[in-house]
Amino acid sequence: MIPLEHYLYVAGALFAIGTLGFVVRRNLLVQLMSLELLLNAVNLTLVAFNRQHQDDHTGQLFAFFVIAVAAAEAAVGLAIVLALYRLRRSVRSDEATLLKN
Amino acid sequence: MGILLATSPLLIVALGALLVMLVEAFAPKLQRGELAWATAVTLVGGALASASVWMVGTVGIPGAEALAPYLLTDRFALFFDFTICVGAALAALLAGGYLPEHGIERGEFYVLLLWSTLGAMMLAGAGDLLSLFIGLETLSLGVYAMTAFRRASPRSTEAAMKYFLLGSFAAALLLYGGALLYGATGHTDLAGIGQRIAEGTASPVLLLVATALIVAGLAFKVSAVPFHAWTPDAYEGAPTPATAFMAVVVKSAAFAMMLRVLTVALGAKATSSWGAGWSTVLAPIAVATMTYANLVAGRQSSVKRMLAYSSIAHAGYVLVGVAATVRSSGAEAQAAVLFYLLAYTVSTAGAFGALVLAGSRGAESVSYEDLAGLGRRHPAVALPFALFLFSLAGVPPTAGFFGKFYLFRAAMYAEGSFRWLVVIALLNSVVGAYYYLRVLVFMYMREPAPGAPIAKPMKSAYVTAALVACALLVLALGLAPGASLDLALLAPARG
Repeated sequence: MIPLEHYLYVAGALFAIGTLGFVVRRNLLVQLMSLELLLNAVNLTLVAFNRQHQDDHTGQLFAFFVIAVAAAEAAVGLAIVLALYRLRRSVRSDEATLLKN
Repeated sequence: MGILLATSPLLIVALGALLVMLVEAFAPKLQRGELAWATAVTLVGGALASASVWMVGTVGIPGAEALAPYLLTDRFALFFDFTICVGAALAALLAGGYLPEHGIERGEFYVLLLWSTLGAMMLAGAGDLLSLFIGLETLSLGVYAMTAFRRASPRSTEAAMKYFLLGSFAAALLLYGGALLYGATGHTDLAGIGQRIAEGTASPVLLLVATALIVAGLAFKVSAVPFHAWTPDAYEGAPTPATAFMAVVVKSAAFAMMLRVLTVALGAKATSSWGAGWSTVLAPIAVATMTYANLVAGRQSSVKRMLAYSSIAHAGYVLVGVAATVRSSGAEAQAAVLFYLLAYTVSTAGAFGALVLAGSRGAESVSYEDLAGLGRRHPAVALPFALFLFSLAGVPPTAGFFGKFYLFRAAMYAEGSFRWLVVIALLNSVVGAYYYLRVLVFMYMREPAPGAPIAKPMKSAYVTAALVACALLVLALGLAPGASLDLALLAPARG
């Protein structure tokens, strides 16, 4: 059986990749994908830990809720990206510079 | 039956949201303005319901704890329900005047506002990481959409984009921290987590990483420096009623979540003591937040953006109180935080309301120059504006003065070294007075430059009603603050 730590390392790596993608990339769609990666890292962590705490299925249950909320979040996020694209013909976050000090 | 009564504040708001949604869908010819009244009445109903449940006391209602730990109906939650409903009702009234004036009147705004309010109330009552996350997202998703509500405006959309990206990132940080806490303790309910940590069986490495992630996520949500970058942009770009909603409702709910998580789940010595836990991190964050925000706020040319930085500065003051809750006299500090948030809610909603009232279509008041000479041209608009600015600056006898007084007193008498924090906070309040008074200087002592565009005040019963309510509350809390503080003392955060 694969030990718990391996799952956690993979989840940690996913979270790190997601954070890196979110911070480094300037394409809004890629940033949205990075956000999904972050949430999936959380899901993997939750399900892996559920194997350690087997008295109930809280971790797995939690993961389902995260999946549902991630879908709702993607819907709102894509709607905002679409509205921005209609106005500016660009999906780059570094070109959004109207609001500044 | 008991649970229906105990959760009646939330149920009223949810029913109202459903009704407004149906009316908007099936009776589109109905005047949109009536939706604003319906929304405000629903929210006032929610506030009254939470006050009545408070009077009965949830201990006296059989079955009130049926949803625990997912939804707690303790007095802590009820106090925040009241604050949140009052703030949201004021924002709804502002929307009733602002949206038609600026030609973006669509009923969806009120629906989003009501559901977001429900999310905020869930957040205040959440005693489990699961319901906390659902409440947070219900709140946030609605607010992202409200920020983007002026779809044709690139500024509004850009603000929503920035808010969405950083808000979702913060939620992910918080969630990862929560998942690690679950791994370390085997619990997702806050009380269970706290108990396991106190027993000392949890892995210290996991706890450290989880605490760091959760504090960072919470700091994002209350917009503390260095996680504040989204706040000025989101506040400036959003339609002003949405800004008011963010500044009062989202902030109160975020602080409710912060207090509950930090004191109940992470309140044990291992995660909260000096040197090892969150209070060590929170004190410097509070200093950085208020100092940075106050210094930058003075340099803004837009009043709306200045108010955004002012809300960051106020988050810094509240963080002083939150950091002090860790001490043995923490109950007093926590009550001071609750009172401060109530005072801040009415003052800030009023300030944004006055800003709404001072502008009209095509002549929205945004910058200091727009307000030049307003005191002479339109004294009825300038006077309430001045009152709310005095309250934000902390001048007696307004709500803001006693908010600061109680907060700093509680931090002062908390054992341990919080005195230096209070001194810094006091110095900051003095710096903060500069940019509030600058608005007064422009309103009363300057005349608009010849030919410059000046803001023309709009006429709206909704905004006037909101301002009158705010002014009464600001004065009531300023003249008789003891009563509300005594109530706040009865509302400790429990698991």
